[in-house]
Amino acid sequence: MTTTIDPTLHTAMLAALEAGLNRGLNLSPQSKPGLARLEDSVFALHCTAPNLNIYLHPSAQGIRLTGIHHGPVTTSIRGEAADFTELAMSRDPTATLINGGLELEGDSAPLIALQQVLATLDIDWEAPLVSALGDIAGHQLAQTLRRGFSWSKQASAGLTRQLEEFIHEEARVSPPRLEVEDFYRDLQDLGLRVDRLQSRAERLRARLQKTRS
Amino acid sequence: MSEKETTHFGYQEVEKDAKAGMVADVFHSVAARYDLMNDLMSGGIHRIWKRFTIELSGVRKKHSVLDIAGGTGDLAARFAEIVGPEGRVVLADINDSMLQVGRDKLLDKGRQGNIEFVQADAQFLPFPDDSFDCVTIAFGLRNVTDINLALHSMLRVLKPGGRLLVLEFSKPQNALLSKAYDTYSFRVLPVMGRLVTNDSESYQYLAESIRKHPDQGTLQGMMEDAGFCQCEYHNMTGGVVALHRGIKA
Repeated sequence: MTTTIDPTLHTAMLAALEAGLNRGLNLSPQSKPGLARLEDSVFALHCTAPNLNIYLHPSAQGIRLTGIHHGPVTTSIRGEAADFTELAMSRDPTATLINGGLELEGDSAPLIALQQVLATLDIDWEAPLVSALGDIAGHQLAQTLRRGFSWSKQASAGLTRQLEEFIHEEARVSPPRLEVEDFYRDLQDLGLRVDRLQSRAERLRARLQKTRS
Repeated sequence: MSEKETTHFGYQEVEKDAKAGMVADVFHSVAARYDLMNDLMSGGIHRIWKRFTIELSGVRKKHSVLDIAGGTGDLAARFAEIVGPEGRVVLADINDSMLQVGRDKLLDKGRQGNIEFVQADAQFLPFPDDSFDCVTIAFGLRNVTDINLALHSMLRVLKPGGRLLVLEFSKPQNALLSKAYDTYSFRVLPVMGRLVTNDSESYQYLAESIRKHPDQGTLQGMMEDAGFCQCEYHNMTGGVVALHRGIKA
C-alpha cells in the first residue's frame, strides 16, 4: 500500500504526533496498564478526507504510529477526520460508533478500551516541572497548575450544566435529552405497532378475497 | 601485462581492490562525529527517512533482521525494540570504527540481549543461507565496491519471502531541486565537513559518490537482475533519497 502524500511529510507528521502522544502518556502513569492489555492489537484508521492511513500499535511503552502495516489488523475504522475527532472526544464511544459516520470492521471492544485510555488521560505535570525547575519551584508551580486545571474543569462543568438548564428549562428551546430519548422510544414503538397493524390488515384482506372467490 | 579492473571512488577511477581501503579511511575519519554530521547535513530529516524504512520493512516480533552498513545503529536500535527479546538483530559494518561507535552507543542506551555486532563486508556476508526475515542497508550501498555482488549476497542470506530494503541517496525528480541540491552538496557540505570533522575531502567524496550511484530505475533493475521480485521504490524528499524494496521469492 502506498500513501498518496510524500512519505517524508507523512512520516514526519506521524513522528511528531507519536512523540506528542507518548509524552502525554508518559506523564499519565495510570494509562500504561490499559495500553499493556492492548499489546498485540493493531488499530487501522483510514481517513478519507484528508486521505490518510494511520496504524496504532499500543504497548506498555506507549503507542507507536505507522503509515504502513502489512500484518493482521484488530479493528479497522474508515471515515472523515471530523468523525474521528467526534469519536476521540466522545463521552459515549459506543453510541458514537453506532450513530456516527464511521465504518467499523473487526472487534470493537479493544477500540473502545483504547478510546477510554486516551480519553481519561490524567497528566501529572509535577515530575517534568520538578526535573526542570527543582524541587521547591517545580512543586509550587505544579500545585498552582493543578488548582488552575481543577478550577477550570469545575467551571467548565458548571457552565455546561447551567447552559443545558437554561436551554431546556428557562428558554425551552430544546427538550431535555431524556425526554427526547423517551419520545424516540415511543415513536419506534408506534412504528412497530403500525407495521404489525398493516400486516394484520393485509392478512385479513387476503383472507376476505379468498372467501369471496 | 593484464589491466586491473577499476571502479569509481567518487569521481576518481580507482583499482577495485583499493576502493574498500579508501572508503574505510573516509569512515575512520568521520566515525566519531557521524551522527552530528548526519543531523547537520540533513537537518534531522535522515531520522524521518529511516523511520519510513522501518515502517516499510514490516518487521514484527520474533523476526531476525540484518542491518548492513549499520553505522551508528539508528535502525538496529529501533528494530531491536520491535522484534523483542525473542527476535534477533545483527548490526553489521565493514568499518571497525563505525561499528565501535555504534556498539558503544547502543550499549550505553541499554540495548542488549537481542543485538549482535558483526564486522562484515556486504559482498561476502558471513551468514548461512536463508537466515533473515529482513535485510536493510541505509546509506551504505554506494560505498560497496561491487553492488551486484552485494545484492546477490543479501539475497542469499534472506529467507524466502524476506525483504531487502535499500535506503540511499538518489536522483531528485525536479530540475530546480536538483540544481539547489548540487549547490548544497558541492559548496556547503565540504565546508560543513571541514568545520565539524576537520575533513572536507570525506564530504567531497560523499557528494561525488551520490552522483555516481545508480538512479532509482537502474537500481531497481539491478535488484531484479540479482533475483529479487516485486521490486519497487519510494522517492522521498523529491527523490533526494529513495527507498527500494525487493522480496526474495
